[in-house]
Amino acid sequence: MIMKPEKPLDNPANDELVTDIDRRAALKLMTAAGIATAVAATLTVPFNNEQAVKASAPQDAARGDSPHNWIMIIDLQKCIGCQYCIFACQAVNDVADDMQWNVYLPEVTATGETFHMTRPCLHCRSAPCTDVCPTSATYQRADGLVIMDYDRCIGCRYCQVACPYDVRRFNWTNRRNEERVNTLQPEWGSPEIERRARGVIEKCSFCVQRIDRAYQTGQTPGEDRGVTPACVNICPVGARKFGDLNDETSEVARIVANTPTFRLREELGTEPNVYYVPAEGMIAT
Amino acid sequence: MTTATLTPRAQQPLRQPPFLIWLGFLGILLVWGLISGIMVFGQGLGVTGLTDQVPWGLWIALDLSAISLGAGAFIFSAIVYLLKIERFQVFARAAVLVGFLGYTSAMLALALDIGRPDRFYFPVIYPNVHSVLWEITMCVIFYFAVLAAELAPVVLGSQFFSRWPQAKQIGHTIHRFTPILAVFGLGLSLLHQSSLGATYGVVAARPLWFKPSLPVMFILSAVAGGTAATILGSLIVSRLRGKYVVDRKVISQAAIIGGSSLALYLYIKIWDWATTQYYAGTAAVEEGISLLQATTPYGFTYWTFEVLLGGLIPLIIFFWARSRKDDFALMLGCLLTIVGVVFLRWNVTVSGLIVPLDWSPGEAFLFARNFYAPTLPELGAFFGIIAYALAGFTLAVTFLPIYEEDHSDHHDDADHAPVEVVRPPAEPATG
Repeated sequence: MIMKPEKPLDNPANDELVTDIDRRAALKLMTAAGIATAVAATLTVPFNNEQAVKASAPQDAARGDSPHNWIMIIDLQKCIGCQYCIFACQAVNDVADDMQWNVYLPEVTATGETFHMTRPCLHCRSAPCTDVCPTSATYQRADGLVIMDYDRCIGCRYCQVACPYDVRRFNWTNRRNEERVNTLQPEWGSPEIERRARGVIEKCSFCVQRIDRAYQTGQTPGEDRGVTPACVNICPVGARKFGDLNDETSEVARIVANTPTFRLREELGTEPNVYYVPAEGMIAT
Repeated sequence: MTTATLTPRAQQPLRQPPFLIWLGFLGILLVWGLISGIMVFGQGLGVTGLTDQVPWGLWIALDLSAISLGAGAFIFSAIVYLLKIERFQVFARAAVLVGFLGYTSAMLALALDIGRPDRFYFPVIYPNVHSVLWEITMCVIFYFAVLAAELAPVVLGSQFFSRWPQAKQIGHTIHRFTPILAVFGLGLSLLHQSSLGATYGVVAARPLWFKPSLPVMFILSAVAGGTAATILGSLIVSRLRGKYVVDRKVISQAAIIGGSSLALYLYIKIWDWATTQYYAGTAAVEEGISLLQATTPYGFTYWTFEVLLGGLIPLIIFFWARSRKDDFALMLGCLLTIVGVVFLRWNVTVSGLIVPLDWSPGEAFLFARNFYAPTLPELGAFFGIIAYALAGFTLAVTFLPIYEEDHSDHHDDADHAPVEVVRPPAEPATG
């Protein structure tokens, strides 16, 4: 856009003319630049946006529709507190000891009876962490899994602040050194995913690599061991169950329908996808 | 006339021992900050006192405080360029300088605080419009551009650029968009200054944060703090130079503007306290507050630094004519306002995180409080960034025409031919 007469600016004789045109022309230029930027951005987004590429991948239920809603049930009456779930999780997902994705608490009920509390990520249907993430690095897939995109996380830790359940772990240091070798491998399992880089958030993924394999092979998570989360497989007393809440014939759907269960801090409206069977002496809501 | 020679005014300060001692002191802090920064980039955020339970700390408080102390820029730009109250022009320019330094300080703090500074631009290319932090990021980016554009004519009008007449011309062209910039700045600031409070206010998991009063308190205290920071800087420069660099009446009027915002802030704050803690309060809030009062100095810092020293006393100083007209009383009032603004942000950040999340259905693990204490590298970066802002202010008011009556800013548009600027002779420096 031509907006000025082609005369040298530093000639005072031209100044009045230059100024008169200047303001209006520059406004036009700004408008035009704005529109151009908007058009360019609109055109570029589909190509830059990983999201668009991902949704087209058939094995990924990430962004499209999914008939599934994967849930976990943790039976506090059955749990014996062996913590095998935690060890298997650490081995398979290559998690450091001080960053456990599953945590264990020896707990007591209000009536003084002891029980064993374990907690993975609850994969909330209305997850506060996905709402606050400025880059959508953590997002909810249509099949219910709340997933981290480690390549997109900027490490602001707002999700950690917003999560009501303390499930998120930050990589405060670099784990690629000897003192942080995972001592739980290979006895408790072999790593199935890469170690996370310094400076990003990580958390329980419901072993998403296994769920995705189920979509490729046609197997059923919760029934076929190869595509079921490691913590569920290893539980010696069957306290953890995994399956599709939308599939009425699945074991988990039957348990949720027929047994009293509760979810953690339901009053927050987070709609967790992890259901607990209450321990003895605990009032189920 | 040759313009390439530096006036004595620009050379003189560098020969003054107090000036050099001051810069040397800041230099030491900057070196400490630099070492800390290298440690953080080299070893990761493990060198901080932050944990998975308290993931935000001193730097976030610094970040929020620096942005809020820069709020004078949008208020006084709006007053000068939208309300056309032109006697505030010099003061507004100082506020823009303070704003620019505040926002760059915040960016420095954030660059250290985020785990992956190499991905700082990701919110732009992978937006999540549901995130209040995304909205803040975008506003801060755009507003930083506004501040840079508002400051550019001052920089281009400096002695250094006077050897290129085109520089002043460019500066003047930019300057004529200042009203538009002021509109953008007003909108962007009204958004993100309050959203910084909303960052906490929307977190339903934290009972001490989850309330609608935080965004309101943040923006009102920011206007007070931003005004106070600009007055304090202007008065210090005035005292050192032995003459008012901003019309003293304008400073008093600014004090009333800042004081009004402080009064509104205290009004909201008192109702916030009354409705969440005194007349009513949820069990979670009461448990959180009693935990904080039992294990931390929260109660003391809240009432002493946020309410009394940072609120009521400066309010009296700003509104009582005698103290407002006294330079030292007013400087004290401004300093206390800044203390209040900073303590609000520190207390909000840390108190919400110290109180543990209560997610277990059992009873055994209630109320073990979380711990946080800044480490040496954290303190180093904190003081380093403050030293950057102070050094930036010192050098800018020394070498840039911040506090000089404007030569290029007349509203008759014909009057902007490249002029040789003849500066007034130097003031005798007063230690």
